[in-house]
Amino acid sequence: MIQRSSRQHPSEQLALDVEGLTVTYGNEPALWNADVRLVRGSLAAVVGPNGAGKSTLLKAALGVVPRVSGRVRVLGEDPARRRRLVAYVPQRASVDWDFPTTVLDVVLMGTYGRLGWFRRPGRKERALAVGALEQMEMADLAGRQISELSGGQQQRVFLARALVQDAEVYFMDEPFAGVDAVTEQSIASLLGHLAQRGKTILSVHHDLATVPRYFEHAVLLNRAVQAVGTVKEVFHRGNLDRLYGGRVPADVPELAST
Amino acid sequence: MSVPWVELDPTLVVVAAGTTAVGAVSGALGCFAYLRRQGLVGDVVSHSALLGVVGAFVIAYAVTGSASRSLTILVPGALITGTAALMLARSVSIRTRLNDDASLGVMLSIFFGGGLFLLRWVQRQSPPIAGHTGLEDYIFGMAAAMTRADLWMVLALGGGALTALLLMWKELKVFTFDPDFSRSLGLPSRLLDALMMALLVAGVVIGIQTVGVILMIALLVTPAAAARQWTSRLSTMSLLAAAFGALAGAGGALLSASEAGLPTGPVVVLLATAIFTGSILLAPRRGLIARARARRAMRDLPPSAAGGAS
Repeated sequence: MIQRSSRQHPSEQLALDVEGLTVTYGNEPALWNADVRLVRGSLAAVVGPNGAGKSTLLKAALGVVPRVSGRVRVLGEDPARRRRLVAYVPQRASVDWDFPTTVLDVVLMGTYGRLGWFRRPGRKERALAVGALEQMEMADLAGRQISELSGGQQQRVFLARALVQDAEVYFMDEPFAGVDAVTEQSIASLLGHLAQRGKTILSVHHDLATVPRYFEHAVLLNRAVQAVGTVKEVFHRGNLDRLYGGRVPADVPELAST
Repeated sequence: MSVPWVELDPTLVVVAAGTTAVGAVSGALGCFAYLRRQGLVGDVVSHSALLGVVGAFVIAYAVTGSASRSLTILVPGALITGTAALMLARSVSIRTRLNDDASLGVMLSIFFGGGLFLLRWVQRQSPPIAGHTGLEDYIFGMAAAMTRADLWMVLALGGGALTALLLMWKELKVFTFDPDFSRSLGLPSRLLDALMMALLVAGVVIGIQTVGVILMIALLVTPAAAARQWTSRLSTMSLLAAAFGALAGAGGALLSASEAGLPTGPVVVLLATAIFTGSILLAPRRGLIARARARRAMRDLPPSAAGGAS
């Protein structure tokens, strides 16, 4: 592993540096002046109420939706120029799962970025895709038509596609949504492994109860970023009551008190 | 009844080759329109093309003083009005509160109405413009009107569209399946969207002479819908749709040519519909009969074996 000089500019040590990100849909601000800084190996949940701009934060950081202002750096570089630094797991419901394609073909789309225009995936790309499917315990379903998958299997296909991208920062939009308990466990351990290998994860997450179990960092978002930090520091009842306007169920377990 | 095409009449060979090409191209391109749910977009292009066809005829007549119904002259007109209708519909839906479907519908009415109006104006000229008869065939299609030069036009435009489709297959596929992900890869979504539109316009415009502007949409969507029933792979679906389209196009052209004066469009559409009906009934897995059988088999299973779906 390459040791980096400690005299380098601090922004180069940040895996993800989002500064002043603002996005509007029509005249409505969807995301307001958001700052998010994560060091390498961070495993961060984005939480906030409906319409808080959680998906928008990911999409704007990736350049999927246009931003009004703001700057994004991944390992000190502009991700629009170095696309291979980032991977994306969109919301499962954002695509048509009746699209005529197979599990392997979807995972192969993770190699399209490095292939560049016109080139088709070959043997090497297939091997990578099969490897990612094995990691997600989906190898036996490689030839399966995607309309025949369960929700958890669909989610694992998307995660396998992101693994094939072999990026530095992974943006995930609700990877735990609609999966069964077994899949939830395997996704949680996948995220842990990625973070241990120094990958950085920013993941929209809905289930407040599991945030402390699955994540080390939290971004509290309601159009503007209200707090970023370790779960211990920021994920407590005071902040959450403010974030959700006092509508956090009192029985959410594992919440640190203010 | 005699069977004229058996004698390989050279005119008929041109017509058959042309409509086969038209069917194959629109079948293959139609898969993307079908999967992106853009059937209406194709319909707007074809209806709007009438204005361009008649307009190009009038302009060419005014400039050169002689009437020509060659596709080399009429197709550019159709490309222009077809594209213009789409771009106007898009700008209307961006700038106003009209949704996409409504603004497409508005543009279809304006451009098709304009086309019909201009056609009637041309037909009413006195002294009559020599050579204007046949322009009205663009409404329901007349494959027999295809000349050798028209065939080259169809092959050039259709071949170009298919080549672009093949070259950018993986980009267009990921853009169609998961547009957000394709943007995150850095693929230019506006460019791909424009390319998709251009391919659709090209695929529609080459078919308006033989199938007609009203029914061209059927040759775009029906083969794709039929092919979808048989396969779960986009590549196979496109090949199959191209084959279905070619079959319907060629069959329609030959049948309509054998009965003088029968417009080609309706015959092509009836053939495509027959293929679609057969597919939706008979296809394994997705077909209606197969699904009814599967339901029955599921019902007859003992309860313990029935719940293994996930």
